[in-house]
Amino acid sequence: MSGTNVWSRSREKMRLFPELFAQCAGEAATYGKCVAATTTGRQELRKDMCAKEFEALKTCFTAAAKKKAK
Amino acid sequence: MSSGVCRRLLRAAGSSPAGRSRVPSSSSSDGPLRAGPTSEPRRRLSESGGRVNVFDREMKKRQKNWSASLQDGHKYEYLRDEVGSRVADRVYDIARTFPLALDIGSGKSHIAEHLSKVPSAHVLIGPQGLHWTNDLPGALKQIHQALKPDGVFIGAMVGGDTLYELRCSLQLAESEREGGFSPHVSPYTAVTDLGHLLGRAGFSMLTVDIDDVQVHYPGIFEVMTDLQGMGESNCSWNRRSLLHRDSMLAAAAIYKEMYGNEDGSVPATFEILYMIGWKPHESQAKPVKRGSANVSFKDLSKISQPTVNLSQ
Repeated sequence: MSGTNVWSRSREKMRLFPELFAQCAGEAATYGKCVAATTTGRQELRKDMCAKEFEALKTCFTAAAKKKAK
Repeated sequence: MSSGVCRRLLRAAGSSPAGRSRVPSSSSSDGPLRAGPTSEPRRRLSESGGRVNVFDREMKKRQKNWSASLQDGHKYEYLRDEVGSRVADRVYDIARTFPLALDIGSGKSHIAEHLSKVPSAHVLIGPQGLHWTNDLPGALKQIHQALKPDGVFIGAMVGGDTLYELRCSLQLAESEREGGFSPHVSPYTAVTDLGHLLGRAGFSMLTVDIDDVQVHYPGIFEVMTDLQGMGESNCSWNRRSLLHRDSMLAAAAIYKEMYGNEDGSVPATFEILYMIGWKPHESQAKPVKRGSANVSFKDLSKISQPTVNLSQ
């Protein structure tokens, strides 16, 4: 396949992942702690149990991506 | 450790509303790619002779070919080199010389380059093949047949708790983000099962031991990239073809938080099972007949030792 296609573009975006992720270490740690806490408690891990923390992480990540794209 | 925690979690997650049924890890599933929770994905011995249809061999061939074609493919060789040298150690440990050796499935003969002489009736298998085969008992039987009597098979395969950090992180992330999860890491053979398989294939004087190789990476992304570069990407039939961006982000955060090191890197564990099995021959020591013992365990206390005198 010549030129760019959806696969090569998304692979390019994926390559930026570690760099962008590194900029959101705080939010990542908070989310990670929230999920880790559910594994030790009595309750099972359900969908969106840590939704708030994840939203914060995602916002930070998207913002970092926008800044990178500029 | 954390994998035990992760295991407890998996059992609990079974009651979530998606209504999945329990799927044994060794069967291929169709339809929605969500597996029910199992206590730990494992290749189990079954009555049907142990042949399973878990892996898409065509896909694996394509992945291996792609990885072999990489310009910088040597970058991903570190794990195989390490395991290859440890297998070679075991070859040297055997105080015999063998005229002819066979190095199977090792890609670039990671073992042969560590051996200076070429031994015999020795079948060496590199860590590349066995954990992707659908018919492990059959493979072991064939190896047994290829050996001369009194020949030895020395092999290594990834098994046990390999990549449990990656497996758990992905499962937790998909559970929290999507309400269920599908398997991303292959089922592996456990040490105990391997012993049984070798016995059933006809090997005797078995030795099976485990060795952990822990490799540290900057993050989950690099773990997965390196696995792909090694040609070790998932090729189970029930693999999901995409990983949601959100789940990927969540998994990265979980991996780092639950398993990360102080310096920010994350570990990935490879549990390598080493096995040695001999093809029977009259010269080998056999278990003696029942009732032929001529010393008793009671005599142990008569052995003079400079230790505490056990009373009674």
